[in-house]
Amino acid sequence: MASLSGLTDQQAKEFHEQFKTTYTAFVSLAALAHLLVIAANPWW
Amino acid sequence: MSDVAKPRNPEDDWKIWLVINPATWLMPIFYALLVLAIAVHWVVFSVGLGWK
Repeated sequence: MASLSGLTDQQAKEFHEQFKTTYTAFVSLAALAHLLVIAANPWW
Repeated sequence: MSDVAKPRNPEDDWKIWLVINPATWLMPIFYALLVLAIAVHWVVFSVGLGWK
């Protein structure tokens, strides 16, 4: 049975692995940026 | 509607891509993220928390 998006289960799982990797990198970079801001100019 | 199987997350997270096709929606998701980031920076700077 075709999915709503047209992707197969295998494709969806494969894409999700890359999505998680990229998202983890994004969050890590944002966390680093926040630590630098805290070090330079804490907002509390 | 209540007999629809409830997802178990995060192990079922990947199933979102069975509903939305990333070939169509990945860039709109990224642009929405960009708009959100610009909005957050805008607010942070407008309340005076930006670099002086």
